[in-house]
Amino acid sequence: MAVSIIAANLQAVAGLNTNILPSVEPPDNAYVPVRGQFDATVIIKKLAGLEDGAPFKLGIMAQDLCSPILSFVYGESQLGGKAALVSLHRLFDDDPELYYQRAAKISLHEVGHLLGLGHCWENFCIMHFSSNIAALDSLSISFCPACEYEINRRLSSIVADGGLVR
Amino acid sequence: MSLATQIMVVDDEEAICEALEAWFIKDGYRVEKAGSGFEALERMAQVYCDVYFVDIKMPGMDGLELLGKLREKQPDADVIMITAHGSIQTAVEAMKLGACDYLCKPFDPDQLSLLMERVLASKALREENQVLKEQLMEKRESLWDGFIAQSEAMHQVFSVIEDVAPTQTPVHITGETGVGKELIAEAIHMQSRHSEGPFIAINCGAMSETLLESELFGHERGAFTGAVKARRGRLEMANKGTLFLDEIGEISPKMQVSLLRVLEEKQFQRLGGSQPITSDFRLLSATHRDLPQLIRENQFRDDFFYRINVITLKVPPLRERLEDVPALADHFLDIYVQETGKRLEGFTQRALGMLMAYAWPGNVRELRNVIERAVVIARGKIIGAEELTFLDSASSDCRLGTLTLHEVEISHISAVLDTSNWNVSRAAKQLGIDRSTLNRKIKRFQIERA
Repeated sequence: MAVSIIAANLQAVAGLNTNILPSVEPPDNAYVPVRGQFDATVIIKKLAGLEDGAPFKLGIMAQDLCSPILSFVYGESQLGGKAALVSLHRLFDDDPELYYQRAAKISLHEVGHLLGLGHCWENFCIMHFSSNIAALDSLSISFCPACEYEINRRLSSIVADGGLVR
Repeated sequence: MSLATQIMVVDDEEAICEALEAWFIKDGYRVEKAGSGFEALERMAQVYCDVYFVDIKMPGMDGLELLGKLREKQPDADVIMITAHGSIQTAVEAMKLGACDYLCKPFDPDQLSLLMERVLASKALREENQVLKEQLMEKRESLWDGFIAQSEAMHQVFSVIEDVAPTQTPVHITGETGVGKELIAEAIHMQSRHSEGPFIAINCGAMSETLLESELFGHERGAFTGAVKARRGRLEMANKGTLFLDEIGEISPKMQVSLLRVLEEKQFQRLGGSQPITSDFRLLSATHRDLPQLIRENQFRDDFFYRINVITLKVPPLRERLEDVPALADHFLDIYVQETGKRLEGFTQRALGMLMAYAWPGNVRELRNVIERAVVIARGKIIGAEELTFLDSASSDCRLGTLTLHEVEISHISAVLDTSNWNVSRAAKQLGIDRSTLNRKIKRFQIERA
């Protein structure tokens, strides 16, 4: 369910044609036993290496993610790269609407990074950095005009290079 | 988040370097990576970094050793140590050695954001502080530049300033109107150990006794009609700095008693207040009046005089150091040429002769006004006698050797008053003194309209 909603939002908000692929297992070395979490950077490297024709790949996981420096991450992505990853583990809420909204926001944020966007100063923009769940909830589910312009510019350039069908 | 901020991450674990690099780049910082302390030292020679994230445990050169070298090569760098849970004690040691903070890995995203915000805010504050200090140094240097003097008399004044400035001793500056007593007071302040504190000046002759009392002591809300809110006085503002009381000869005996108490106890109360306020300041004072004479006339208290007059600095009038006139004239010419944008190169010999032959009752301030006027009306590339004719005609009695100083002053004031049709404000402006001073002079010299 969450995956379908994320795909729909990527299509509607970022204008990205999105396909849902069958699930794959994370690499064995991605699990960090002492932390009971998965290392996002290891999984992203594997995702980026998968050859399936898609220029960008976004992984969705139910398990908790971390990075070598951070105790947890909601998502991680290669800036201007090929793969990103989102964990639903810390986004759960009894209100399913809020839960899916959080999932869509994090996914759009990480996809923004894939398209080369950094963090944004605008408090409401989806590209603003959220270090906790309350900050994430305060964001709107849209890009600020500057980030939207930049996304469109980058997507146009990728389409022109034949790398993407919109 | 600043594009200009350059960060270096130093860690032997590539995964840590890459993770931090990814995080910082997304936040808009520029990032350099180094896999060891040696590589960090090499990289820092090529790229200036503002902030360093240094892992404590590294083979070869550890984080503490690198911290020492970084502080040595770049004392203003902000160094943040990265440590594991087990080595917090070492991180604390690093803080003692000059690291500005430490992060215990793995850390929450919140911690990193807040840490960067704090480091950058502190850096901005330090930079602002540095700029202000440099401006203060420039002001200190330019203040000395402002003293244009070739005469032995003024060099003796400078020598006394250098001797007394570093002390806490009260200095009383005497000299005629326009010799630059406030500039001398500022110079003493700038050379003193209070130079980073405030320089608070007040002209005691320019206000009524009640206003002066309120200005000096401050007042609480409702202390008198119109005191709608509490206000700090100059005595309070001068804390850790210098208080300069100009025209101190004009203050009433009652106020002298109040000030004497403040100088002895270093404590006072605001008007309408009951709380004692402590203020530690260095007192400088000045007057153009003869205080010993005022003491003989019972207008000035001798105990107050001895308190303020520990060291007397007498600034000679311009007519006693006419050798300073050409250099001063050139200095003011430069100032007004820059202000007006005119291309004036200097003075003719005759013009300089006129400037040197004048008695300058209004001293350096009058010379400054004369040069300003000459620059404004000048049409050629050089200031000649024709630009100074007003000086010649308005001051025919001011030629040296023909009159006493007292007569020169009365004559000049009368002439300026007549020229301004007895408009006291205009005359005071032309004389370079304030209106109340001119009124006092008119009264004292009994000058009357012709």
